[in-house]
Amino acid sequence: MTNIFAQIRDKVRAAETLSFEDGVALYQHPNLMELGALANEVRERLHGDRTYFNRNLHINATNVCEASCRFCSFARLQPGDPAAYTMTLEEAWGKLRARVAANDPITEIHIVNGLHPGLAFDYYTELLAGLKRIQPNIHLKAFTAVEIFYFAKKFGMSIEAVLQALRAAGLDSLPGGGAEIFAPRVRKKICDDKSDADEWLEVHRVAHKMGLRSNCTMLYGHIETAEERVDHMLRLRALQGETGGFQTFIPLAFHPDNNALMKLPGPTGVEDLRTYAVARLLLDNIPHLKAYWIMLGIKTAQTALWFGADDLDGTVQEERIYHMAGAATPQVMHPTEIIRLIQNAGRTPVERDTLYNVVAEGAALIPDKPFRRDVRRSLEVVS
Amino acid sequence: MSADARCLPTPTPEPEPASLGALDLFALGRQASAARDGGLGRRGTFVRGRQLLASGGWRGPRDAAESTVDDADVVAVGGLPALRAAGIDLLVAAADSPHARSAAEAGLRLLLRVPYRVGEGDRERLDRLAAIERAAFGVWGVMPAPLGEPYGLDTLRFFALCRLALPRVAHLLADVGALGPRLAQMAFGFGADELHAPIVAERALRLGANAHNPSLTRKEAATLIRGAGLAPCERFADGAIEEVQA
Repeated sequence: MTNIFAQIRDKVRAAETLSFEDGVALYQHPNLMELGALANEVRERLHGDRTYFNRNLHINATNVCEASCRFCSFARLQPGDPAAYTMTLEEAWGKLRARVAANDPITEIHIVNGLHPGLAFDYYTELLAGLKRIQPNIHLKAFTAVEIFYFAKKFGMSIEAVLQALRAAGLDSLPGGGAEIFAPRVRKKICDDKSDADEWLEVHRVAHKMGLRSNCTMLYGHIETAEERVDHMLRLRALQGETGGFQTFIPLAFHPDNNALMKLPGPTGVEDLRTYAVARLLLDNIPHLKAYWIMLGIKTAQTALWFGADDLDGTVQEERIYHMAGAATPQVMHPTEIIRLIQNAGRTPVERDTLYNVVAEGAALIPDKPFRRDVRRSLEVVS
Repeated sequence: MSADARCLPTPTPEPEPASLGALDLFALGRQASAARDGGLGRRGTFVRGRQLLASGGWRGPRDAAESTVDDADVVAVGGLPALRAAGIDLLVAAADSPHARSAAEAGLRLLLRVPYRVGEGDRERLDRLAAIERAAFGVWGVMPAPLGEPYGLDTLRFFALCRLALPRVAHLLADVGALGPRLAQMAFGFGADELHAPIVAERALRLGANAHNPSLTRKEAATLIRGAGLAPCERFADGAIEEVQA
């Protein structure tokens, strides 16, 4: 194994693309510190110490969903379910109005919903258009590929036509959710009634060809194998090679509470770090790797900044999907806290917009006292 | 089964504490793990314990392998003489506890909580650890205790500092209640050798108000330790340890 790792390290240092076998070997490598250090080399080669975050707002406008994914704690299958909800457009717009009234300089709204069988397509276009009316320069990162594919089927439109209509209403980019694990064996067991891997990838392919950027994800830590995780990442890497439209890969840690897979333990901290490190090494053509603190927990997300991740996501404000699955993280993190977290990790915080344009960094970023404690101070000797 | 090294392990050559701050995260992890492995082997332990409370009652199973008391409760339960009578074998104490020395002299094992706070410098921490290392009485183990919400990397660095700056202290415990299971598991990569958590018979569903329940089943504890790359072992009353097979 040590020889294999040394060979992989040589390939990484020579900027060679890793194979499926390499990915599996990395998952099996017993020394997490070696793996982390190698992923950190790549992370620092790409981004140095820079670590990104943004100011965003999540809107989950409805949890009514036709799909019955076994890992999901958010969806309610019937509109009459006591825990089911669908926001009126005014309610959804009110989320943004509240942020505007609070002078919160958010730059992005992240919108993900259930597959509601009763909503008209106009609901979604009006949702976007109304948000843009309130704040024209806000970036709308909305609707997973699963939702887009659902709209296409339900409303008898092509994927391209759906995306064009949404774009005309204000859509700026796509989030990466719904990918889960591409392997048919796993999808059959955990999410067999929504778009499959090819359909998910096709939505992103079409979006990229239209000039829309998007993110991509992988839900790990349930019933999938290491081989299936590697296969998933390599399929993303292949599409990225074709289109170049993915900005960020986001490994999503499975949360077992309140869903049909609650007997599973969920991933451990070491498994989280290993997955981040392997992802950074395998996905050499996807620029960013996001430690989504909502799902990982703040402590693990910060640690992941040394195991390949260069992004902490954002302030979020109100998150429902993973909190209904037992996420114990807060629903909002103030930018000052995010900055402090990044600096404590010995990294340099950079506020970005959705497309990774710099919004603020350096002195412009830190209005209050400088942060003294860090890991970096003592790392300068070796880096 | 093999006898546990109750006495202090032979110190392995370690870096001078003053130079520890110059090591990067991964080097710290590697050195701290090597120091643990040199003294104890590549194993991580857990123990079914029970705690004597100030009320005189017990928290934990009757047949626990280890009986502990917190130093805050020592007076309430009748002082040190009463502890032996109650079968206490481990005092969990603050580093400056007035009971620490006398408890150690009375033959109790001593587990010191070592506080750390986000924002402290390495120098401050190393000074604190040096005071423990200089203590005249034997310290069986230390357990990092965050003041306030801990940060991940800060915590892992502190674990490594504890392992490397305290070569005379055999055990470094990761408190699942204070750190959460994810971070506690990661601590094994930074020198920890024991999970400190209530070991229970049935897995807790961590829902709602129970979301932060630190209790683990034997299987959960073993899985966390094994996942960290160590052999999971259960520690028993006589100090013996036994590996938990997968």
